[in-house]
Amino acid sequence: MSPIALIALVIGIPSLLFLIYVFVRGSVGLRRYILTRIVLTLPMVFILATLVFFVMHVLPGDPVSSALGPKGTPEMLARIRTQLGLNDPLIVQYGRFLVDMITLRFGNSLVLGHRPIIDEMSERFPATLELVVPASILALLIGILGGTFAASRRKRASDYAWRIYSVFIYSLPIFWLGLMFQLLFGVRLNWLPVSGRIDAALGTTLERITNLYLVDSLLSGNWPAFFSVLEHLVLPTITLGLILSGVFVRMTRINVIETLQADYIAAGRARGIRERVLVYGHALKNAMIPVITLIGLQVAILLAGAVLTETVFSWPGMGSYLVQRISTRDYTAVQSVITVFALLVALISLAVDVIYSLVDPRVRY
Amino acid sequence: MLRNKSVFSILALLVMLSMLLSACGGGAATEAPAAPATEAPAMTEAPAATEAPAATEAPAMTEEPAGTPADTIIIGTTDTIASFDPADAYATRDWEVLRNISDGLLMWEPGSGDKLVPGLATDFPEVSDDGLTYTFTLKDGIKFGDGTDLDANVFVDHMNRVFAIGPDCPNGVAGALVTPYVDSVEAPDAKTVVFHLKAPVAYFLQLVAAAPYRPLAPGQLTADACDLYPDMPLYGTGPWYVSEFTADEQIVFEPNPYYTGDLPAQVSKVIVRFFADPQTEALAVQNGEIDVAWRFLGPELFDQLQGADGINAAQINGGSIRYLIVNHQMAPFDDPNVAKALASAVDRDALSDTVFGGAVNPIYSMVPPGFLGANEAFDAQYASPDLEAAKAYLAASGYDENNPVEIELWYPPEHYGTQTAAWVQVIQQQLEATGAMKVTLQAQEWSTYAPACTGGEAYSICVLGWFYDYPDASNYMEPFVYNGGIGTMVTTAAEGSDYGVAINDQAQQLVDYLTQSDVETDLTARAALIGQAQDVYADLVVTVPLFLNPEYMVFRDNIQGISSLDNADALNVGGTIEFSYSVLSKTP
Repeated sequence: MSPIALIALVIGIPSLLFLIYVFVRGSVGLRRYILTRIVLTLPMVFILATLVFFVMHVLPGDPVSSALGPKGTPEMLARIRTQLGLNDPLIVQYGRFLVDMITLRFGNSLVLGHRPIIDEMSERFPATLELVVPASILALLIGILGGTFAASRRKRASDYAWRIYSVFIYSLPIFWLGLMFQLLFGVRLNWLPVSGRIDAALGTTLERITNLYLVDSLLSGNWPAFFSVLEHLVLPTITLGLILSGVFVRMTRINVIETLQADYIAAGRARGIRERVLVYGHALKNAMIPVITLIGLQVAILLAGAVLTETVFSWPGMGSYLVQRISTRDYTAVQSVITVFALLVALISLAVDVIYSLVDPRVRY
Repeated sequence: MLRNKSVFSILALLVMLSMLLSACGGGAATEAPAAPATEAPAMTEAPAATEAPAATEAPAMTEEPAGTPADTIIIGTTDTIASFDPADAYATRDWEVLRNISDGLLMWEPGSGDKLVPGLATDFPEVSDDGLTYTFTLKDGIKFGDGTDLDANVFVDHMNRVFAIGPDCPNGVAGALVTPYVDSVEAPDAKTVVFHLKAPVAYFLQLVAAAPYRPLAPGQLTADACDLYPDMPLYGTGPWYVSEFTADEQIVFEPNPYYTGDLPAQVSKVIVRFFADPQTEALAVQNGEIDVAWRFLGPELFDQLQGADGINAAQINGGSIRYLIVNHQMAPFDDPNVAKALASAVDRDALSDTVFGGAVNPIYSMVPPGFLGANEAFDAQYASPDLEAAKAYLAASGYDENNPVEIELWYPPEHYGTQTAAWVQVIQQQLEATGAMKVTLQAQEWSTYAPACTGGEAYSICVLGWFYDYPDASNYMEPFVYNGGIGTMVTTAAEGSDYGVAINDQAQQLVDYLTQSDVETDLTARAALIGQAQDVYADLVVTVPLFLNPEYMVFRDNIQGISSLDNADALNVGGTIEFSYSVLSKTP
């Protein structure tokens, strides 16, 4: 079983069970909503994949010329294009693409050894997952705690500091922030590594099972590798997490401020409930609803951020893979990655909506 | 409450401080470009990531890097591996792998630019009087890394596989370096390998040193198809074998236990680690995550690292060149006077000084200095920059300040490094200084640019790079002359012709000189023919050679090469830019 299939099973089966549970236990409206979303997701992904297919083929340049450069004789170019099926009519190529997508085989890469895309994604998708999950957690922690704290100190110095932070951090180019961290913590202080997922020498000792190196090193009890992976995660995670945290700080702050003005909070204060309990125990809970929605919306931005973070830190994930393959016009790879990204965004968005209905009982579909 | 406030304040303060410290840590930063996909048939044209803009100045190290394990050397690169199959592999990094895991009958001595030495063979071959038969005798006791003996039959099986499947492989090395020259290979006995050539080839020994002539252990590669990424481990007869390969991450070499050659491994492991970005590669060598940064650091990163603590940096003038392709069948360069004006107006020294601070060497022939027969034909004929001569050529075709010739100069903005834009601007200014040329710069992304430039139908003049397949003058001229000449169109490909149909008598004369030099085995006579070919080449202005593009080797100061070999200060990488990992040792 490929690592990507393993990950899909590990994440997919509990998610599916959860969805079935919600579907069975939920209201008629919720069931209808889930069904509608699933039915809408499929054509959405199909339209996006089709769009990407035709845009890639309309763009000038092709993978064979790009790879062979000046040494590609016309005969060689023609032969390889034929071998790769690039001389087939566009509609035939499109049909092949659709079959590959539906069967989730994704076809073969058009460059670099023409390996099956599923194998390439098996190596890279876990790397992206290992980066975006802790980065999201960090972004949420900073965003929610910072936003709540700022709201509870409204119009005081710490509120202004957090507001400045949120705008400042959000407006920073991610590659610049990454580079500064590399220079400071990697080169100047020499505390942390600046590139890759694991120390190269320890990488040779790691048994790759899921390609999630943290998980693999734990499963095999390889502690030096585990700590090396953790060490390598720090800078990319902080870079991506900080950039994403800005918007969460702002959103949380606004919602907590709004909630703190509600009558039940005033009533709580009148009853002598401590401010901390009011803010974190009552206001934050209610203010979280729009923040949860934002999490869903941020997934696409998270993946876009991962593209840049992976490039800066030479992190061999889906983002750097996408950049590399766009420049070589590797149609099948680009189409496959974008389709997988679209599926991810759609599914997470659906999950967020379902969770939304559970968190807020007032929501009715 | 107070406690909470403190925690959050400290958190906010820390974040702010880290920003501030980071900002103080370096100067103004610019975005390093994404490394281009380097699966280009890289023997071609030392591609892109090269001249990444320097983000900041190299900060002084305040902490000693922890470094890599004592018995392991880690080499960083922005290259990628396109193929491990000797019947297919054509990229520089692919060849580096194959050359480290498998010896050839003949090999380039590490550090040298031109010194061939026997490898698997006991000596140089016996060559028949007609120059068609080369007989090699194999050394005794050579084994592959898996313990299999190498005999002549195994070698012949390897070559027959290259003949059989090579032409259908995607990177096309066999079609370039084997099948046009070799008719057959036979093994009259277990120690003798005999090559029968289709025609005499003056540079056949150089070809034999190339990767497709290096066998891997039998049974590792698919017999009847290209096997670009075979299962690991991968064994040859060289000092190393590949024990592990993780795409886009790293490739691990370990010593071949059966190696009996002159250059055994000195450390227990070499790991080549892949980077997406040269800036990150540069930072990694600074903080000790890697020991060596080898390809592609550009001149700016090289300059930064030269001054960094604990770092050695060396510039290697290999055979990589930059030049302008001139399309002789498109206006305005279908007019020879315009082409000659171009050759007269270019000022290579100014280009080197202005853009590279004098770090690149101007060239006045496509054949770089040091190769047999190399001359400076462009300097002799045009003594450029000579604006008056350029104006005279243009005037002869009716162009002057009131009626300037309009030229679109195309270039790829990133493939050859971000400095390309700077140096084509310098050329633009130089040409416009004639007053009779109006130059428009046009940038195009590589995947579109490459076929347009080399196809001979879209661009009248464009920028390209070249690195030889085998170190011989012929490889610097013939590709630009025969069969359309990579967009120069001094010939037109034609059915039944190996070289194409020349556009005029002078072009035919050039073809004749080149084909004669290919079969001339007397070195003096051959050098003369190559010299004549360069003279005609310059007169035709087939292309405009500009400068040698250097390679940069950066390594930590506890890594050494072998001092008795050439170029020890560049870890024994010489003009052939072959990097033998066996020369490497490490002091704790």
